[in-house]
Amino acid sequence: MSNPVSIIMIEDDEGHARLIERNIRRSGVNNDIIPFTSGTAALNYLFGKDGTGLDHKGSALLILLDLNLPDTSGIDILKRVKENQYLKTTPVVVLTTTDDSQEIKRCYELGCNVYITKPVNYESFANAIRQLGLFFSVIQVPPAAT
Amino acid sequence: MNADAQRKRAVGHILLFAAGLLVLTAISAGSVHLVNKAREDSRSVQRTLEVENQLSVVQLQLRRAESAQRGYLATLRPDFRRDFEQAMSELTPALTRLSQLISDNPVQRQLINEMMPLYDQRIEEFRTTMELARSQRMNDAAKIVREGIGRDTMKHIDDLAGRMRAEEDRLFTERTTNADRSQALAASITGIGSGFVVVLAGIAIFLVRRSSRARDVADAKLRDSHLNLEATIDERTADLREANDEIQRFAYIVSHDLRSPLVNIMGFTSELEELRGDIFKRIAALSRAQSAVPATAENATDTAEPELQGADKQLSEDFSEALEFIKSSIGKMDRLISAILNLTREGRREFEPVAIDTKELIEGIVTTVAHQAAEAQAEIRIEALPNIVSDRLALEQIFSNLIDNALKYLKTGVPGEISVRGRTKLGFAIFEISDNGRGIDPKDHQRIFDLFRRAGTQDKPGQGIGLAHVRALVRRLGGTMSVASELHQGSTFTITLPINWSANRNTRI
Repeated sequence: MSNPVSIIMIEDDEGHARLIERNIRRSGVNNDIIPFTSGTAALNYLFGKDGTGLDHKGSALLILLDLNLPDTSGIDILKRVKENQYLKTTPVVVLTTTDDSQEIKRCYELGCNVYITKPVNYESFANAIRQLGLFFSVIQVPPAAT
Repeated sequence: MNADAQRKRAVGHILLFAAGLLVLTAISAGSVHLVNKAREDSRSVQRTLEVENQLSVVQLQLRRAESAQRGYLATLRPDFRRDFEQAMSELTPALTRLSQLISDNPVQRQLINEMMPLYDQRIEEFRTTMELARSQRMNDAAKIVREGIGRDTMKHIDDLAGRMRAEEDRLFTERTTNADRSQALAASITGIGSGFVVVLAGIAIFLVRRSSRARDVADAKLRDSHLNLEATIDERTADLREANDEIQRFAYIVSHDLRSPLVNIMGFTSELEELRGDIFKRIAALSRAQSAVPATAENATDTAEPELQGADKQLSEDFSEALEFIKSSIGKMDRLISAILNLTREGRREFEPVAIDTKELIEGIVTTVAHQAAEAQAEIRIEALPNIVSDRLALEQIFSNLIDNALKYLKTGVPGEISVRGRTKLGFAIFEISDNGRGIDPKDHQRIFDLFRRAGTQDKPGQGIGLAHVRALVRRLGGTMSVASELHQGSTFTITLPINWSANRNTRI
């Protein structure tokens, strides 16, 4: 992965965040991981003070998104990111416990790039995250500006 | 309207009817009696008239006899004599008739007894004079007539006849009055009776109208309460539906939110496991360094399998055991949560009624479990089944769950016999799935339908969800299910489903 790409991790459960980070690191990905535990904080960061997302013009981002957040719904964040002219090319990986087919369909319709269900079985979980890390290391992320 | 009032009213009706009947009977009896009496009275009146008539006839004939005598005496013509004889011949029966008619009246009898000798005397006189005249003894005859004895007798007879007539007149007046009274009484009794009947009829009409009005009121009330009931049912149905949806949502959210911490527990347990490996490796290395076992060189390269001694080994095993318990519990919890999720997902699926060839559907299920059946040496027999309109997927789940259970809980060592039967009754199709398996203790019959509950020997894998799920599906399809079973005697599950189920009826309840 080209160096400037930073990973925005929006995950309210700190345990999950820790496990995800650990396993991504184990797969050899060394990019910046910026964790957020609430949707609001993540939105503030993504869209900046003016709410336009202009701050991130030209920077390459990758968003790891949990759908079950305490303050905002992950679906809303996904929608806003994909509607924003600067952020809409940013890849969004939804990583959540929800395996409802309706929900999955909805996410893809809104422009989510990858949807992963968190397996409870830790082996599978660790595996999934490591493979995701491998995926990150080969994926090409465009700069957010257009 | 309570039962007491109703009974009172019924008794009232019966009393009224009885009273009417009684009055009618009384009127009829009274009328018959009075009519008879009137007839008798008029017969008496008639007899009185006849008595007077006969009296007149008697007097007339006597007068006629007298005038014939006089004529004969004067002229001696045989015509007069013939006249006399004729009068005589009519007088005698008239007298007989008269005495017959008045035989019941002592006053008249006395009078006629007094009169009879006078008649005889008078007639004797007539004959005597006429006999004298015929034998040319005119003077003797004229002398007898002149003596005036005959006139006195005649006068006496007239007097007696007058008294008889007076008596008869009195009787006539009396009897007429009686007859009038009888008739008046009959008329008044009929009138009063009719009045009674009219009054009773009026009361009856009033009562009937009152009770029909009461019935109308009750009818209206019934209709009202019926409507109310429907409204209440709709309301309750809506409430139930809402509650059900709420439960579904709740179950969904809970199972989701439970999953999140579970991921952590599992994840960090695995992390702990790795840490355990590191820790015990270090402990092993340290203990080896301390004891300075000569074998160090030999083991130095073996980092994967640290050799632990005594207490350390015990510690390591305890550690592993604890971790294993945690992991197996997490696995179990995960399966339960998945089961709840699946149930709620099923509960939210919209059912679609289609015509189903039930036999074909069950044959399909039997094909998919053919392998298990062969393993259990079980034979599945499908008898004739009624076709129904229902949700295909739900029906598949219901029957495959039940057939799975039947195969799963057979008696070990006994070849299984499973049969599926069907029949219809009053718009419902009844399916029975019987087996000769281990059976279910009657005290567990309710329990087996509860979520996460199982009965009997727990030697087969399972979450205790199948039957709860089946019953939920059957209920959603507007049916019921029950079980009949004894321990070691096999089980029969009975499912009753509407033959023509439509989605908008009884859904989501």
